[in-house]
Amino acid sequence: MTSTKLNSIIHLLTSSLRGATRRGNPSLLDRHATLAMTIVFLCFCVFEFFISVSSVHAAGYGLSIYPPLLQVQVKPGKTLTQVFKIDNLTGDDKFFVARLVPFTQADLFGNPVINLQSTAPWLSYFSLANSSVKLGEPFLIKGNASEQLVLSLSVPENAPIEDLYATLLVSTYANTSGVGYQGSLVNATTGANLLITISSEAFPATLLHLEDLSITQGLVFHIGPYYLADNLTPLSFTASVLNTGDFRAETKGLFRITDRHGQPVYLEGILPVNVVAKTQRALLNDSGQAFSFSPHLGTLGPHQVSLAIKTDNANTENSLNLIFLPLKLTAGLILALIFLFTIFSPPKTA
Amino acid sequence: MADTLTSPAFEIKMSTINITGGNKSSSSYKLTDTVGQTFQGQFDSAGYVIKAGFQYIYTLTPFTFTISNLDLNFGSLVTGTPSLLTNLLTVTTGSAYGYTVKVIEDHPLRLITGSITIPDTACDLASPCTQTDATPWTDNARYGFGYNIQGDDVETADFVDNTYFRPFPIQTTDLPATVMTRSGVATASAATVTYKINISGNQAAGTYQNNLQYIAIPSF
Repeated sequence: MTSTKLNSIIHLLTSSLRGATRRGNPSLLDRHATLAMTIVFLCFCVFEFFISVSSVHAAGYGLSIYPPLLQVQVKPGKTLTQVFKIDNLTGDDKFFVARLVPFTQADLFGNPVINLQSTAPWLSYFSLANSSVKLGEPFLIKGNASEQLVLSLSVPENAPIEDLYATLLVSTYANTSGVGYQGSLVNATTGANLLITISSEAFPATLLHLEDLSITQGLVFHIGPYYLADNLTPLSFTASVLNTGDFRAETKGLFRITDRHGQPVYLEGILPVNVVAKTQRALLNDSGQAFSFSPHLGTLGPHQVSLAIKTDNANTENSLNLIFLPLKLTAGLILALIFLFTIFSPPKTA
Repeated sequence: MADTLTSPAFEIKMSTINITGGNKSSSSYKLTDTVGQTFQGQFDSAGYVIKAGFQYIYTLTPFTFTISNLDLNFGSLVTGTPSLLTNLLTVTTGSAYGYTVKVIEDHPLRLITGSITIPDTACDLASPCTQTDATPWTDNARYGFGYNIQGDDVETADFVDNTYFRPFPIQTTDLPATVMTRSGVATASAATVTYKINISGNQAAGTYQNNLQYIAIPSF
């Protein structure tokens, strides 16, 4: 396209020169020749600049997707749709391919373990309602433009009652055989997760177990069922929850420290995240950090640290016993006494 | 409706609170009620309930992934002299809470006209690397293709510095390897990937190619 335009310009200039020659005006001819060469040179420079800029843009990738998470609870026999908005953030027109990849496993932080080769029979429940875009087929998004993928989920009447987990992947589409250089062609994929519960009831029961509630930071001694902790040293706690049931649950609940009378001295909310079936998930406070507690001088004696999750479809609780003692203070006093005793002890007599 | 309940002793960020509720009593009755939870009603009447996005993040911004360069053209390779290229990955979680970026290759760099490959690196002989364990690759007598990554949300305990490399996992046999991850909101987290090829004098001449796939997925 660029070379065609350049040729057209050269053709126009050549015609102009021919016209000047025919009219027999040599000075005009010289002026036209100089002007023509200058214009051709400038045009060439401008086109070269744009060609190089566009090739830099063509090499990049930028894509955004919304929503990044879709949670659906649906009865068998129902159909629903959800729009996913895809933005091509580069200035270049690009082809993309959308597809769904099922998953069953996830890590402690809610990242699905994706196997790009995996498939499932229930993927047939899903389709795109777009007229021009199909799952698994390339579609064009113009530079700095958007496309809406209208994902339709049609659950058959006889569909099993279960959870379905999948990731909608939108990938760059490239014909790799056309790459003429030595090296790697990079493909990019951006995803959004789908957590689908097929159920006839609003809150299908699942089984949660709070595990690994323990102290990860602080001056602590573990003796039998008790933790002895210094009352001037901040403590950090870790915990996770295991979903052994068949349905997704949310980690809504409280981290609580109570004194010997059962009165709460510290409360923190648990970050409400999803625990998909048969997976384990780390629990964090509502700031996304580990649970922590900073005792003070008056924090003494037995306390209980408890975590409780109360959701619409599962409850669980776990606790540990903590005894706060002035360990640092006592150690400091003993050292001070030894120091004083050393200074003021009576001199040895011969 | 969302709100934050606070007192001098504690702070609880609640995702929802009821519109009304509590204990109501008179001489003749004692009732505890809750009004405002509409999930059950919606599910019963419509047959489905959809929640898009994360209830504990209030922005509606999209999850974004960018790569600075999709064409890694190494040009001519010189035996025993490593060739290096870089590109930049950036992630903005938007309304997601955490993410991972994984990478996988379709096969080792392979001659376009045959089956001869440049093997994926095993790094230095003293401490061989694996797809999930980066180790130093500084010996120019060790050949192969591998990558290093430095920047935000990178496992710095593994990629200790820019001499630590890993081989890419292969699509037909392996799961993608995690190169960036974060359990929380990320705003333009950026990391630079360095690709390294070093070939021996016995490597057959020709053009070697493969495909690398980066997969960025938000956490749920």
